[in-house]
Amino acid sequence: MSSQAFTGGHKASHQELPPEFQDQEESIKITGFWMFIVTDVLIFASLFATYAVFVNRIASGPTPAQVFQLNTALIETLILLTSSFTIGIAIWAMRQNRQRMVTWWLVLTVLLGMAFVSIELTEFAGDVAAGWGWHTSAFLSAFFLLVAAHGTHVTMGIIWAVALLFQLRRRGLTTVTRRKLYTFSLYWHFLDIMWVFIFTVVYLGGRLI
Amino acid sequence: MHGGDEQHETAIEPGFDFISPRFEEPKFPMHQVWGYAASLVLTFAALWMTVNRIMSPSVLLGVVLAMAVGQAALQLGVFMHVRESRGPAWHLVPLGLAFAIGIGLVGMSAWIMLFKSGVS
Amino acid sequence: MPALPSFVPYLIHTLFPPWVRRPTEIGAEIMMTAAGAFIVYWLLKNKKLQWLWNEWLTTVDHKKIGIMYLVAAIIMLGRGGLDALMLRTNLAMPTLHFINASEYNEVFTTHGTIMVFFMAMPLIFALFNVVVPLQIGSRDVAFPRLNAISFWLFAFAAALFNLSFVVGGSPNAGWTAYPPLTELAFNHTVGENYYFVSLLMTGIGTTITGINFLVTILRMRAPGMTFMKMPLFTWATLNTSVLILFAFPPLTIALLESLLDRVAGTTFFGLAHGGMPMMYVNLFWLFGHPEVYILVLPAFGVFSEVVSTFSRKKLFGYPSMVLSMTAIMVLAYGTWVHHFFTMGAGPAVNVFFGLSTMLIAIPTGVKVFNWILTMWGGRLTFTTPMLYFLAMIPTFVIGGATGVMLGAVPADYQFHNSYFLVAHFHEVLIGGTVFGLLAGVYYWWPKMFGYKLNDHQGKWSFWLFAGGFWPTFIPQYWLGLEGMTRRMYTYPFGMGWHTLNVISTIGGLIMGAGFLVMVSNVLRSRLHREVDATGDPWDGRTLEWSIPSPAPEYNFAVIPTVDERDWWWEEKQRRQSGEKPAGPRPEDIRAIAIPKNTPVPILLGAAFFVGAFGLVFTWWPIALMGLAGVFGVLIYSWFQYDHYRILSAGEIRETEELLGRLGA
Repeated sequence: MSSQAFTGGHKASHQELPPEFQDQEESIKITGFWMFIVTDVLIFASLFATYAVFVNRIASGPTPAQVFQLNTALIETLILLTSSFTIGIAIWAMRQNRQRMVTWWLVLTVLLGMAFVSIELTEFAGDVAAGWGWHTSAFLSAFFLLVAAHGTHVTMGIIWAVALLFQLRRRGLTTVTRRKLYTFSLYWHFLDIMWVFIFTVVYLGGRLI
Repeated sequence: MHGGDEQHETAIEPGFDFISPRFEEPKFPMHQVWGYAASLVLTFAALWMTVNRIMSPSVLLGVVLAMAVGQAALQLGVFMHVRESRGPAWHLVPLGLAFAIGIGLVGMSAWIMLFKSGVS
Repeated sequence: MPALPSFVPYLIHTLFPPWVRRPTEIGAEIMMTAAGAFIVYWLLKNKKLQWLWNEWLTTVDHKKIGIMYLVAAIIMLGRGGLDALMLRTNLAMPTLHFINASEYNEVFTTHGTIMVFFMAMPLIFALFNVVVPLQIGSRDVAFPRLNAISFWLFAFAAALFNLSFVVGGSPNAGWTAYPPLTELAFNHTVGENYYFVSLLMTGIGTTITGINFLVTILRMRAPGMTFMKMPLFTWATLNTSVLILFAFPPLTIALLESLLDRVAGTTFFGLAHGGMPMMYVNLFWLFGHPEVYILVLPAFGVFSEVVSTFSRKKLFGYPSMVLSMTAIMVLAYGTWVHHFFTMGAGPAVNVFFGLSTMLIAIPTGVKVFNWILTMWGGRLTFTTPMLYFLAMIPTFVIGGATGVMLGAVPADYQFHNSYFLVAHFHEVLIGGTVFGLLAGVYYWWPKMFGYKLNDHQGKWSFWLFAGGFWPTFIPQYWLGLEGMTRRMYTYPFGMGWHTLNVISTIGGLIMGAGFLVMVSNVLRSRLHREVDATGDPWDGRTLEWSIPSPAPEYNFAVIPTVDERDWWWEEKQRRQSGEKPAGPRPEDIRAIAIPKNTPVPILLGAAFFVGAFGLVFTWWPIALMGLAGVFGVLIYSWFQYDHYRILSAGEIRETEELLGRLGA
């Protein structure tokens, strides 16, 4: 009852699956992580809803067009898209059992993530220096919370990836570390998706309204 | 690991073929390269359209949002291997519902908070 | 913080401000300290600390976690009930100032919050934990350790919330905590911080529980158990888990934004700087309406099991039951505005949500008819759980019908925030949820502990509780129609509300007596227990009754193959006719991996508690210490790999032999 079609339509048993899916328990953890992503989609949806409702409520503060710098946002977007590509390659390398390659692509991903976070922090610092904190207006509260929530997620991801690098070094590509890498990649790509929406709604949208 | 000899999966029920699992392991990450290129193209296209205001703002917002949804689909399909699963890929159902309810939540909230009537 | 010499007076003034030094609070303080001291003394005297730590505090066994949820929920039911009686006493007579206005605000706030988040939710999770893995033929939940983490987050959050009564002051803006009343400018005590922080904490736990049970049901069913062969309580759990996944994130954001307004100076819901309180209301009910169904679907699941067991019949219309439950789950997301029609979002918005509200009554009606038709022609036994089921039918129907009345937009402008509403939601929440959960507790008690609760006393408790329920809440419909508004702490003579309020208060006292009889029943049934060796005292129909009570730690020695609904009912016939062996055959038993106990969950909960306490008083160093603790525990747990111990086939055979379970 448990054989399903995959890889070009031929039937295969579980023994042919990649190790992180071959193991019942680890594959259940992957399903669980998808469900976590489901809840996080709704977290971001609620933040987007707040932003959409508050975007015009600028009180005596700056307008969106005054706050946003499209150049910075574009650089951030490119960095994050590239990091999404690098972690994708890391997972591909994992499936080829090439541990050194996995490590280096993961290191590259972490560095890109750090670059992203530091650019974002610089941007925030600039806003605050200009006197635009999240106490200024409801619009800025919503903006900072939305973008900072994403930035916090990325920071968590960086800590997670560094912990993963240590485990990879100590244990190599086992079933468990493979699953951990796989769920990390899901997390990272998901953050990329959310950033694409932030870029579109906040930064491009700021130009349109 | 859980007990070893268990076979917990159930067969995919009729009518749910779309959640059958898929795996791909090519020798060169061609998919990823194409996915990366496509996401860059979509990003720059959206940016170009916005900066040059090629149509009215409200229509344009719809278009760039649709392009963002396209990028999300790209990430899910190409990078996140969304159909990989041991047994039926049941996570697709809540995931689809999450995006639907998420978009509904934002849209409906905006609609409710417009206070169109002014009479209460 | 001020300089050191003034530090101690500052501490005393912050932790024990004047409003927690009233007689009630000091009494509670003395009682809590005395109870805590007695428990510690008892544990030390009987050398039970080691036992408590090894058997309970570090356990990841879903059955034990379920029991801990149950104990916590019953304690919280007591606290919330006491709050309710204080409210009712104050309203018994006109201008009766039993408690003053500000105390009344605090008490109705904690009553609502505790009943929803710290009584009903854990009681639901108690049943999930105890029943679902056994019902689907699984050895545990998908993530045993996360399950324990959920519990400890809830437990520490509940402790934090209850602490507010004696340290710093209770929240006082209602269980919905609408701004701008919760904004710092209008409410400068720490009470609302307690509300937001403890709800955020328990919300994380609840979300994890939702994920856990959804994955458990999707991935860990016994072979052969397709979706349409799952017992209905499992279906209810599945739908509830999905609801939790989608409902708790908006609540998290609403709470987080309110908390940031109070402690970090944002301006989401304040009136200055372009903030808008209505957005909180919108986000809160985006959670709040699905929450109503989170509370009631598990009760529907329990009733479906109870009615079919005690009618000794298959459930009538199983597919329509599943379909209606799923329809409720989806529709639950489309009705939230009916909680704030009077906000004035406009006719189009109100009409849309009024219609969707009426639509959701249809699947609920389908379920009621199916239950009634299940009894039709069955051989009924009137045990305590069955009585709760029978009491639910009229209660829930009336509560549901008044709900449809509230859903009619123009009429809602009259009913809104009156006692009519109070009567409506108590009728569905007590008549639906509490009756259902109590039925479930009586029904699955033997599975948890190996003996039944005394049925005679159970019936006494039932008649007091359900009998007190009607006089308590039915008069409130009329009070609402006569203009008595919600949350009013007293009223003058001559309003014509006196008689009905007296009846309502007397009813409340009778319900309280019912609760006391229930607690005494629990204690006395334990003292005079008759051990049930069969594991199937009700002649049940689903998988959980096929194993001994209480279930051994591995649940099933051999996981059965389930090829029909009501598998155990059919299996019993097969076993009697000798077609199948009477139990698992020794040669089929294999070694089983059991998750090891771990201190990670309780330590994580404690670290959260420290951080949350710091956040409540905005003592940032303490908050950061808690955060560091959380990260410390998480990183420790990331690097742990060896989560299982192996139970050998020999040991399992021995256990099954002792229980007299082995088949030839």
